[in-house]
Amino acid sequence: MLEVIRSPKVYDVVVIGSGAGGGAAVQVLTGKGIEVALLEAGPMLHPEKDYKEHMLPHHVDHRGAGEGGAHYFGRQPWGFFRAPNGAWDLEGEPYTVAPGSEFRWFRSRILGGRTNHYGRISLRFADYDFMPYTMDGLGSDWPITYDDLAPYYDKAEAFIGVTGSIEGIRSAPDGIFQPCPPPKAHEHLIKQACSRVNIPCIPMRRAVITKPLHGRPACHYCGQCGRGCITASNYASSQVQILPALKTGKLKIFDQAMAREILSDENGRVTAVSYIDKKTRTEQQIRCRVVVLAASACESARLLLNSRSSRFPQGLANNSGVVGRFLMDTVGLGVGGYVPALEGMPHYDTDGFSGGHVYSPWWEWDKKNKDFPRGYHIEIGGGFGMPGVGSFQGQVARIGGYGGQLKDRIRKEYGAFVAFAGRGEMIPNNLSYCELDPVAVDKWGIPVLRFHFKWSDYEWKQARHMERTFVDLIESMGGQVLGRRSPRLDGEGISVPGTIIHELGTVRMGNDPRSSALNQYCQGHEVRNLFVADAGPFVSNPDKNPTLTITALAWRTSDYIAEEMKQGHV
Amino acid sequence: MSEPDGRQGNEVSRRALLQRIALAVASAGVLDLKAGQHVHKAVSQEKQRTGEYTPQCFNGGEYQTLQRLSELLIPADDQSGSALDAGAPEFIDVLANQNEELAEIFISGIFWLDREMGRRQARRFAEAAEDEQIRLLDELAAAADGSTGALIDFHSAPEYAGFQDYTARPRGRLGPGARFFVWARRLIVDAFYTSPIGYEDVGYKGNHYRTEYEVPQEAIDYVMKRSPLGSA
Repeated sequence: MLEVIRSPKVYDVVVIGSGAGGGAAVQVLTGKGIEVALLEAGPMLHPEKDYKEHMLPHHVDHRGAGEGGAHYFGRQPWGFFRAPNGAWDLEGEPYTVAPGSEFRWFRSRILGGRTNHYGRISLRFADYDFMPYTMDGLGSDWPITYDDLAPYYDKAEAFIGVTGSIEGIRSAPDGIFQPCPPPKAHEHLIKQACSRVNIPCIPMRRAVITKPLHGRPACHYCGQCGRGCITASNYASSQVQILPALKTGKLKIFDQAMAREILSDENGRVTAVSYIDKKTRTEQQIRCRVVVLAASACESARLLLNSRSSRFPQGLANNSGVVGRFLMDTVGLGVGGYVPALEGMPHYDTDGFSGGHVYSPWWEWDKKNKDFPRGYHIEIGGGFGMPGVGSFQGQVARIGGYGGQLKDRIRKEYGAFVAFAGRGEMIPNNLSYCELDPVAVDKWGIPVLRFHFKWSDYEWKQARHMERTFVDLIESMGGQVLGRRSPRLDGEGISVPGTIIHELGTVRMGNDPRSSALNQYCQGHEVRNLFVADAGPFVSNPDKNPTLTITALAWRTSDYIAEEMKQGHV
Repeated sequence: MSEPDGRQGNEVSRRALLQRIALAVASAGVLDLKAGQHVHKAVSQEKQRTGEYTPQCFNGGEYQTLQRLSELLIPADDQSGSALDAGAPEFIDVLANQNEELAEIFISGIFWLDREMGRRQARRFAEAAEDEQIRLLDELAAAADGSTGALIDFHSAPEYAGFQDYTARPRGRLGPGARFFVWARRLIVDAFYTSPIGYEDVGYKGNHYRTEYEVPQEAIDYVMKRSPLGSA
């Protein structure tokens, strides 16, 4: 018989996963004196030695190309200097993709998860985003409204720190903001181009602090947020929520702990979490009163599907069969341009915080006669970035040749490029979902996910709208569009499904237990002491990037858990 | 960008400095720029090399060819030095020494280059006259870049980085040489611009600690005056 080591201790709550959702749950629950065990499938994070924040390429022999030039062989897609985050492919932990589908699944295995490296764009959903079905008859409405979540957006922004400005735009609800650093020179030009066609272009809402906050110093504008911030001036759950929570004495972190199954009793109550301790390759169990799943939408779905019992033959809390369904990513399309007006500009430090200091929220939310539903926001790039491996290869490809002429042109054109990236809403469809692969397992013997994915006409039409918009903007600035124009054909130009890393919706919430796994508090309809605190519960995937809403929703869920525990209901 | 490299990162002092900065900022709310620059310097002491570099992967003749290619692909001019000055051959040797696949690309490519030059001039590439070297490189560049110029789709968004492929479409007898040319150019260009000489050549001004972020008015004025949308 398999030897399983059970914890003698019964924790109040086991939180599985330490990203945005797990971080918020840990912060809120330990703050209320609740004892939490946190399972993280990767190692601990040590910012002072893991982060490569201010290094220049020549500080390492390989200049950032990685050992053996990994960059040149596509084996280092995030760059050498990036904060420890995760990978498209994890050794020994595969997933499969069904024939005819394309999907890439980025998974983190580190304390803090993807919050260590993410873009930190922090946009509230709009009021109408919570009732998409009511608005246009597609998808489903959320079981909560903007007003239900607004107080938690307030708490989240006030605590993690988000820049922005009060604008009064319906598609971009205002919040509690710190000042945003000023627009860069190229952004002034882009603002002008946007205003000519009535596209708003407003200060960026980003989880970076420009004033000291709760002992965290203000941003020092080195522009390297994605490498991890040694002064914790940007938000990462690891530095801002979890490591500080250790000081409460209420948190115990189990790192290298890969959750395998959530165990439940005959009454449909969760009793323990079974996990593989990767350090010893042994199976362990932690007993608890409540489980908060925050392993990332698809990993949480996988864990539920792998937690079968006679009471839940399709997986825990899945008698509705919706777990794994309604998988969505964000529609991504980027167009770059070379803008002669920027050439010869006095060079200056364009770092600021990383990414654009301005962005464009969706502007046609009230337009009825467009040929696709919903919308997108625009992220903006440009400036005199840090030269790195690959930085000038686009120019080399365009200019061609070699020698003095190539060197001259690169010098002259440096900083004269802009980039627009659309991030749009996908409509959930029946052909996009994940399920357990019937045969494949990972190195721990845990069945893995198999993905199915299909963009529909809605997304293709939206991508074409993005392309037209970006081309118009670039050309109105006198710029030349770079690269192939797309998508002229279906399957061309739109981002590979999964690669925007906004995959979500696979454990959705709702009022009807027949069509949702969780209620409005992200609590299992069928399992009252099970909660999900990542983006699994999302009913739709608005064009706002999910992280801030994960934080707000997880905060609301955690408040509810604390209250329910106090009342003795769970 | 011209700060001297120091031997080996001193992890302890670096960490101590960073902690001091964090504390100073937390209490005062502002960061002393000088103190910030100390950290910047401490962090820059990650790597240092003194004296002549001894190739680990390439033999003397091969390395000489890499040196010559580095001088020719990104040459010195009145503004800055060449890719040779920027350490491109050393960069390629370091990587090739860690990666057999890359070593093979370069060793076979250099063989090809020498044989082709030998066929034309009875000399190895590195020992041929400059105009002969340039003639061959011109032919390879033309074969590599093709009539359309563009070799790759350029996606500036970082999330696409892993999906870029460097696809040359050379045709005919020069094919293998053109393929090698693309590899050599790619690594030599990268080596140049990831060196202090390269940063200075393009005029990179970033990677600093600042207490406030400001955009110079003259840069804004310059751009807006040149805007085809009319001055704002």
